Amino acid sequence: MIKITNLEKIYRTEEVETVALNKLSMEVKEGEFVAIMGPSGCGKSTLLNILGLLDDPDAGSFIFNGIEVAKFNERKRADLRKRNIGFVFQSFNLIDELTVFENVELPLIYTGVKSSDRKKRVEEVLDKVQIMHRRNHYPQQLSGGQQQRVAVARAVVNSPKLILADEPTGNLDSSNGNEVMQMLTDLNEQGTTIVMVTHSEHDARYSHRIIRMLDGQTVLENIMV
Amino acid sequence: MLKNYLKIALRKLQKNKLYSGINIIGLTIGLAACLLIAVFIRSELAYDQFHTNKNRIARVTMDYQQSGTATTTAVTGTKPGPQFKRTFPEVQDFVRTYIASRVVGNGADMFEEPSVLYADSSFFHVFSFPLVQGQVATALDVTDKIAISSTTAKKYFGKSDPINKVLKVGTKDFTVSAVFADIPQESQLKFDFVTRFDNLGSFTQEENWWTANWITYLILKDGASMPALQKKIDEFMKTPEVRKEARLGNSNDYLRYNLEPLTQVHLHSKLAGFEPNGNMRYIYIFSIIALLILVIACANYTNLAVAQSAARTGEIGMRKVMGASRRQVFYQFMGESALITLIAGMLSIAVAAMMVPYFNEITGRAFTVSDVMQPVAVVLLLLCVLIVTILAGIYPALVISGTGIMSILRKGFNFTGGNTTLRRTLIVAQFGISVFLIIYTGIILQQMKYMREKNLGYDRDHILVLPVDRKMKENFVALRDAIANVPGVNSVTGAYETPEFIEWGDGIVANDEKGQHSISLNALPVDLGFTSTMKMQMAAGRDFTESDFALMDTSSNGANFRQPYIINEALARKIGWTPEESIGRTIEKSDPGPVVGVVKDFHFESLHEPVKPLVMFLSRDLVLTFMVRISGNQQQAISRLETLWKERVPHRPFQYHFLDEDYNKLYQAEQRSATLFVAAATLAIVLGCLGLFGLAAFTTTQRVKEIGIRRVLGAGLGSIVMLIASNFLWMVGIAIVLAAPLAWYAGNRWLQDFTYRISVSAWLFGATAVVVVLIALLTVGYQAIKAAIANPVKNLRID
Repeated sequence: MIKITNLEKIYRTEEVETVALNKLSMEVKEGEFVAIMGPSGCGKSTLLNILGLLDDPDAGSFIFNGIEVAKFNERKRADLRKRNIGFVFQSFNLIDELTVFENVELPLIYTGVKSSDRKKRVEEVLDKVQIMHRRNHYPQQLSGGQQQRVAVARAVVNSPKLILADEPTGNLDSSNGNEVMQMLTDLNEQGTTIVMVTHSEHDARYSHRIIRMLDGQTVLENIMV
Repeated sequence: MLKNYLKIALRKLQKNKLYSGINIIGLTIGLAACLLIAVFIRSELAYDQFHTNKNRIARVTMDYQQSGTATTTAVTGTKPGPQFKRTFPEVQDFVRTYIASRVVGNGADMFEEPSVLYADSSFFHVFSFPLVQGQVATALDVTDKIAISSTTAKKYFGKSDPINKVLKVGTKDFTVSAVFADIPQESQLKFDFVTRFDNLGSFTQEENWWTANWITYLILKDGASMPALQKKIDEFMKTPEVRKEARLGNSNDYLRYNLEPLTQVHLHSKLAGFEPNGNMRYIYIFSIIALLILVIACANYTNLAVAQSAARTGEIGMRKVMGASRRQVFYQFMGESALITLIAGMLSIAVAAMMVPYFNEITGRAFTVSDVMQPVAVVLLLLCVLIVTILAGIYPALVISGTGIMSILRKGFNFTGGNTTLRRTLIVAQFGISVFLIIYTGIILQQMKYMREKNLGYDRDHILVLPVDRKMKENFVALRDAIANVPGVNSVTGAYETPEFIEWGDGIVANDEKGQHSISLNALPVDLGFTSTMKMQMAAGRDFTESDFALMDTSSNGANFRQPYIINEALARKIGWTPEESIGRTIEKSDPGPVVGVVKDFHFESLHEPVKPLVMFLSRDLVLTFMVRISGNQQQAISRLETLWKERVPHRPFQYHFLDEDYNKLYQAEQRSATLFVAAATLAIVLGCLGLFGLAAFTTTQRVKEIGIRRVLGAGLGSIVMLIASNFLWMVGIAIVLAAPLAWYAGNRWLQDFTYRISVSAWLFGATAVVVVLIALLTVGYQAIKAAIANPVKNLRID
């Protein structure tokens, strides 16, 4: 599903040049659950942003579903992104002014799904993440675990092929964290490819494969059995 | 999608009550000001547009030179109307008009009516004042008919049919022939009664070029050209026969008539007719003020939206992550701006409706709430809403929608110049406008105060003004003495008109060793005791005395008639005499006579004009007003006068006014500008501060952590307040430096219109600067102190 070769990303300010990704190559197959680990500043988040079509690489190739997307402009990336990729963030990133239902509905609005279909699908996923009873609450009224469940619901509502999770349990206690990890595992078992950035060895153990990074390169891969 | 945007926008409004409040209040005020001003401008432009024949009607004005003095006036003699109709085939008809104040009675009901119109019988054919009852053809077909307005009909006859009822106007009975709809305020002719021109007296039958008291209108035949007729009139007035008839002896003297298209009179003529004209300048000033207020309100919106955008990084970032396009985000933000402006627009209609009475005071007009609700006004308002939506919303919308996802996620939004140049520019502009308006207003108010307090050369306080009519003159002396004997009355005198604005134009001839002096001047017929009652000072000689009447010998056909005169210093100077030299010398107005006194110059026009030559002459026959100086308990004196009046003058209601009120009316236009500018300056500073308050609140929130760290490191309250305040105060400083010279220039331009004026004092600038800085400091200081006294540990925990 994902094949990247010699990917480079360099951040430049007036005085400093930071190499975030240094000729990085890797592959993720459809249906895989991959964890990316490494110390702060090793390029994990940059990689995730590029995989999520949020950012573009400076050099190298990125083939997503058989299409070279490294040179896509923002509009094309947005189009591809909204149909194929769901995101889960450490800080949930729910919109405060929208209710649970409305937050989950948002990706469907941007992909142009009809209102009646939207209602059905949102209710389905809310049911699946067991937050239906909170559908009319605002994010501030929920616990961290509940918020992350809403975020997961939002990530999957469009039935994406790929879910990118950036430290999904970073802001949660262990029981809520485990719950979220279980949800990701379930999704993966139903066929969704998952790439997760994490600091937590515990969480990483839910994955099939751990890619360890250092200074913008992959240094080690552990296959989880 | 739209529903989602609306939802977010409404919830944002609700959540950020402070910022929403500031934006909505600011825009509401700005839009309400615009709405009212639009109503005013529409009305000004609509003046006299309702006449079916509006494009064929011209007002005839007079332009002449005699004895070296050129004069233009809106009034003409009785002749031009009929003469032009006979001479020029283009002229279909003419109407000569005059508006007088008359006592009108229906049996015992008697009122002093200020708007009785005398007009030629063609009046209703030429002008389109629709009749509610009666026929145009018969409304004024005979002399003793009178047409009245709907309101007047109700006032005198209640619900009963007024047609063929009798009204007494002055001493004569008239039959009501027609009822016309109340005159719209957009009419240069405003009247409650119309009767025929010849009712003014037999002199109206004579055609006369010179006795200029009447406003003459011509209606041209369909298709006739006004400029072409103007040329013909110019040629006609130069013919020897006409010049001879008009007694234009000197070859430099001339008499011309100018045609002003009816619809141009109100806004473009320099000559006032029945009412002061409007002024295009006023329309410009009003528009600029509306615009400035709107700009300040827009600036608040833009500033707060830009500032708040930082807090929306997360939301917009997420929308983009989920696939929102640039256009979608742009429309979302424009939609929010539209929503706020629309709410403000709706509120502004209510606010404008509430402000109508105050607005009428400023404009001197009689707008009603329904004027504000008119479709034209509402459409204009919607247009304003659209413009404001775009003006205020486009910058934040463009920047926010145009920022790439990664930039948003990494750094938030980056507005030009590090998020601050635009904000600073807008604050400087807002406070600059405020400072300009405050200083300019200060200059106007100082000049108004100067005019109110200026020594005019007479004492205008405690002078009661009462009318004198023909009937009262039959027992003039007895009545005058009775008034003088009322307790509380110090003295009483009579004159043709009150001294604050002497309009009687005349000319004199004086002979001395240097030759003959012909001088155009103003003249005032007075009774005894005029200068003493007015507390005027004599430069030489004396006031008129009883013995002066002996000089006015009307026997032997007036062969020995001598007219005694009092002149002012300006006239003595013009002739070349000292006050002392003047006494006993002979001058000739229409009759020769000695100068018995020279009065010290007093102001008999507004302070826009210098004191010009004036002659006062003794003439009881021409007295039209009593001036009564009262002292002590004013109310008591007035009620005693009323008792006397009812007894001695039963044919007239007791209606009086005070001389100082008349004087203040001379400066009505200035008073209105002053009120307008006070309102505008207040609005500007309030709106500016509102914006500043919002921004300070926002900045403080942004810097809460910094303030916390500084506090932990030992910073005092004062230094924290200064840290926040100094951020804004230097911008206010720049605004003052930029705006003060502009205000100084504009204020001086305004003062140029006055011959007698203040010099702009430096303290006004200093005081304005101090006040504005203090207001800004208070506005910002509240937020700064709030942040500074908060528990620093709590602040640090936020991050």
